[in-house]
Amino acid sequence: MTTIKEIKDQLSNKKISVQELYDDYYNKAKKSELNSFNQLLEPEYNKQNIINSQSRYDEEKDLPLDGIPLGIKDLFCTKGIPTTASSKILEKFIPEYESRVTQNLLNDGSIFLGKNNCDEFAMGSSNETSFYGPVINPWKNKNQINDHLVPGGSSGGSASAVAEKICVASIGTDTGGSIRQPASLCGVVGLKPTFGSCSRWGVVAFASSLDQAGPITNTVEDAAYLLNSVSSYDPNDSTSSNHKRDNFLEGICKNFDRPITIGIPSDYLKDVSSEIIEQIENTKKHLTNLNINFIDVEFTTTNFALSTYYIIAPAEASSNLARYDGIRYGYRGKGDSLEEIYVNSRSEGFGEEVIRRILIGTYVLSAGYYDAYYRKAQRVRRLIKDDFQRILKDVDFILTPTTPNEAFKIGEKLDPIAMYMNDIFTVPTSLAGLPAISLPSGLSKNNLPLGIQLIGNYFQEKNLLQMASLLEKEFGFNG
Amino acid sequence: MSDINIKKVSYLAKLALNDDKAALYEKSLSEIIEWVDNLKKIDTEGVKPLHNITEKNQNIRNDEVLKNNSTEEILSNAPEKAQNFFRVPKVVE
Repeated sequence: MTTIKEIKDQLSNKKISVQELYDDYYNKAKKSELNSFNQLLEPEYNKQNIINSQSRYDEEKDLPLDGIPLGIKDLFCTKGIPTTASSKILEKFIPEYESRVTQNLLNDGSIFLGKNNCDEFAMGSSNETSFYGPVINPWKNKNQINDHLVPGGSSGGSASAVAEKICVASIGTDTGGSIRQPASLCGVVGLKPTFGSCSRWGVVAFASSLDQAGPITNTVEDAAYLLNSVSSYDPNDSTSSNHKRDNFLEGICKNFDRPITIGIPSDYLKDVSSEIIEQIENTKKHLTNLNINFIDVEFTTTNFALSTYYIIAPAEASSNLARYDGIRYGYRGKGDSLEEIYVNSRSEGFGEEVIRRILIGTYVLSAGYYDAYYRKAQRVRRLIKDDFQRILKDVDFILTPTTPNEAFKIGEKLDPIAMYMNDIFTVPTSLAGLPAISLPSGLSKNNLPLGIQLIGNYFQEKNLLQMASLLEKEFGFNG
Repeated sequence: MSDINIKKVSYLAKLALNDDKAALYEKSLSEIIEWVDNLKKIDTEGVKPLHNITEKNQNIRNDEVLKNNSTEEILSNAPEKAQNFFRVPKVVE
């Protein structure tokens, strides 16, 4: 019993009840020692949802995700359930409203197991910046079996929990790679949809021109199930797109009825390890088996993507996080004046990496530096977007590694820039707003999962999932 | 070396840094700013800044008054409140 489709079949055929399914996952999650949940909801909380779900199955009127136990990244506002963004500053925050994405998931019948741990305010690539401590990757390096490895980040709790199979799937967010990179390091599937696909309403804001919700799942088909639910127009998000959504399940495991070409950017592969290159070479063989053409392509802007991102994302973050002032909600520090309350609340409430990014953002937006950094980065961002459009004129998809390395040891990477380099292959797509999926392609010499990334054109998630499902079958990766 | 005045930046961000932290962040920021400085090498003459990928289809809602929360709900997360207000130290003497 692994995929959503299989679980739904079992529920429909009365092989298992919604309650039994829930208990099974809840008990596994309760026993887990990987710290992938900030909060596991008490069974009492889900009691009525489970009864309702069961009666829909009994009446053969089940909803698309009926009874499916999900994890939710602790960045989505969930009504009446603490939502912390893994930060001390939101430790006691209980939203009075539900995010659009989680409302959609509830409307489709899913059951929330709890809130997944993540990097503080989604700022990190290893889940080590969480106020609630690091998440542990269920995978072990076979040559250093006692080491605890990072799950990646920022949606590290989501990826770890899905890989450990203590939830069927999880919904994460991706700003510069926060879905795809942890998916790759944990050997699961992670999809970042086109910017504007999923509403940002009720998602704790990091960088508003980049933040996008998306599924982390065990299979490509499961990602399609979740995307069908979470991708919708929302008037409460001014950047939400109101185009008609595809049924993302339609293309799964079907062959294309037209020739497909995949571009492989040679500039992405210049300085990567032989193991990562092997993943791409291996993927080429599978593409050949699938009768899919691949050609070399070359970007001109790749070297500038990380710099652009580390100006734009902190700039937007410093602005978004200005709202945490200790007055209306969140942690309040002591003070005899408003100024003291602001300063103490923020200095005591934010962790080290969040403070670093607020400082970078404040600096690049400050008088005298705005044009040289922020404005310049926005200009380069357009060049990056145009670079992708130039290449996507000739190819249907772009294939790259997801990450430059396998999962590393907790505490190993202390230098911020070394950490930022983790997102070297995921950040360009984020800046361009394009959809991209990471799927496990094989194992490293240390027996750790490695992933490849497929990038599609705007709102072409149906084709992207179709392509990914064909490759997934070819890889036969078994987490 | 960059010219980052960490005390000024932290003041603007409403963050208090002790001397050790200030030194740590000043070094860290200098390294990061130096790292992102490679953008100077790319020609952006005549390129329009891109604020948002969806720049062509920003949707604007009608300006309608909706009642979707109450004073009680809004105050439920307040660290300190008094009657129907957020409570703060005295601002006006």
